[in-house]
Amino acid sequence: MKKLMPLLICLFFLFSCVSAAQERSLKDLPDADFAVDIPDGWWKPEYTGKYLLTKDGPYLQYVLIQKRPLDKAFRYTKKKIRSGMLPQEAAGIIIDELASDRYLMNFSVIENAPASVDGQAGFRILFTYTDKKQSQFKTLYYGFIKADSFYNLRYCAAARHYFEKDIAAFDQIINSFQLAKD
Amino acid sequence: MKYFIIIIACCTLAAGCITPHAVPLKEGLHSAEDEQQLWRRVQKEQQAIDGSGFLYHEPELENYLNRIVQNLLAHSIAPDFKIQIKVIKDPNLNAFAYPNGVIYIHSGILARMDNEAQLAALLSHEMTHCTHRHSLRVIRSIKDRPAYIAAVQNTLAKISAVQEVARLLGAAGSMAAVSGYTRELESEADQVGLDLMAKANYDSSQALRLFEHLKQEIEVEGIEEPFFFGTHPNVQQRIDNVSDWLAADNQANRAGVKNTAEFQDRLQRVVLANARLDLRLGRFDIAQKTVVKYLKVRPNDARAYYLLGEILRQRDRQADVATAVSYYEKAIALDPSYSEPHKALGLVHYKEGQKQLAKKFFEACLRLSPDTSDKAYIQGYLKNCKFRGEES
Repeated sequence: MKKLMPLLICLFFLFSCVSAAQERSLKDLPDADFAVDIPDGWWKPEYTGKYLLTKDGPYLQYVLIQKRPLDKAFRYTKKKIRSGMLPQEAAGIIIDELASDRYLMNFSVIENAPASVDGQAGFRILFTYTDKKQSQFKTLYYGFIKADSFYNLRYCAAARHYFEKDIAAFDQIINSFQLAKD
Repeated sequence: MKYFIIIIACCTLAAGCITPHAVPLKEGLHSAEDEQQLWRRVQKEQQAIDGSGFLYHEPELENYLNRIVQNLLAHSIAPDFKIQIKVIKDPNLNAFAYPNGVIYIHSGILARMDNEAQLAALLSHEMTHCTHRHSLRVIRSIKDRPAYIAAVQNTLAKISAVQEVARLLGAAGSMAAVSGYTRELESEADQVGLDLMAKANYDSSQALRLFEHLKQEIEVEGIEEPFFFGTHPNVQQRIDNVSDWLAADNQANRAGVKNTAEFQDRLQRVVLANARLDLRLGRFDIAQKTVVKYLKVRPNDARAYYLLGEILRQRDRQADVATAVSYYEKAIALDPSYSEPHKALGLVHYKEGQKQLAKKFFEACLRLSPDTSDKAYIQGYLKNCKFRGEES
């Protein structure tokens, strides 16, 4: 049994690497009508069905990509994003939703400006908040409306050290984001 | 709502199973080990609330609230108890007391009161939970305390309507804020509170008015989370109780003061701030009602007219656009240097394709507030207005 142990350990790492490599693309995920390039060193945790990427673990930094139907209710605000809304109006609703979230303590918007993703006119919001342990987090949130859906891509990281360190990777994700062609 | 009823039922059952024993008041406050433990625990919970950014800070309002408390406290069984009032930016109808004398009141309940006597009714009720050591009495009467607290908190965590409260508060706070104390202790707080009001020369019939008024609001607005008034005994039972006590009690002071004018003056800012919170949550009708009520007291407030315009614009009904525009114009007439209504008018005209009009208002907004937070959007609109100006 002692001789078998190193072999088993090697096999375990080998399969782990294969499994991680399979998660290095978001192009083949079911139901996704978009594709992005995953930066080196980033991976998708297996325990979530969401389009979530991280490098050092989600508590330290993550990128989350979501597509939600426009008629889907938000958790806190009863307002709804509607087709034909200006990006500024949609950004206002997202800020209302975030500001009403009791998880996001000391919520503060640093920047709210127009932005585009894959040629779609949208917005970007930069905000900070603290959690119950008083750790501060910083989030860069892009959003845009396309047909009957609201797409959002957010990068959230510990404000200290991690946010600046990995912002370039998020830029890479934003720049590579492509909606599937009709 | 279904789950809310379940938790209330659970708590009522729990209340029925335990009989809180009176804590002898001669027993020194904060002297027993269990009370010291309780205070240490709630202080930690309070630190989380105080550091959350959810507290509403307005020194004048805090002084006013604490002055009312001192007046009531002077007639209580524990006049030296240190009571402190804090306001939470939350539009829901709630207030809760921690055993160490810190009382949190949601801006939502303050915004719906009419006068100081009604505020005194709420404060005297919450104060009584502290002075009569209701938390300690509940805790001493429960044999398996950790299991009970864990059960309450787990049940709370499953209920979407109260998750937000449970998330922010610890076990003690959740119990006080959501499940309330036992039926017996809530009734005691109502009865002692009425007595304190009368002794402090407030019109104690306003306690009944407050209950009735809020019950009506809860029904009309379809509010699902009226914690303070949803706790046992239920709101109708409390109305009946207070009504009976007032009828039977010769001490009830119906000729006492209401102090409406000072109340409205002191609470004006928090009322408007709470209307903004309702607007944020998309509770347009409640927000509108609050601002209309506010304008009856402050008819020349540009910010209130702007807020009314925002409520109508964000509600996004075509029929409201003209009215929203008239409110923005009124706000500008009252305060021409106020940039927000200029920006809002710019947006309305921009969306209607009236680019030249939109341009005029956007430019005015940037002139009045060159560093406005959404400057980048406005600059983009202005660029489009220049390109497409000929369309109008």
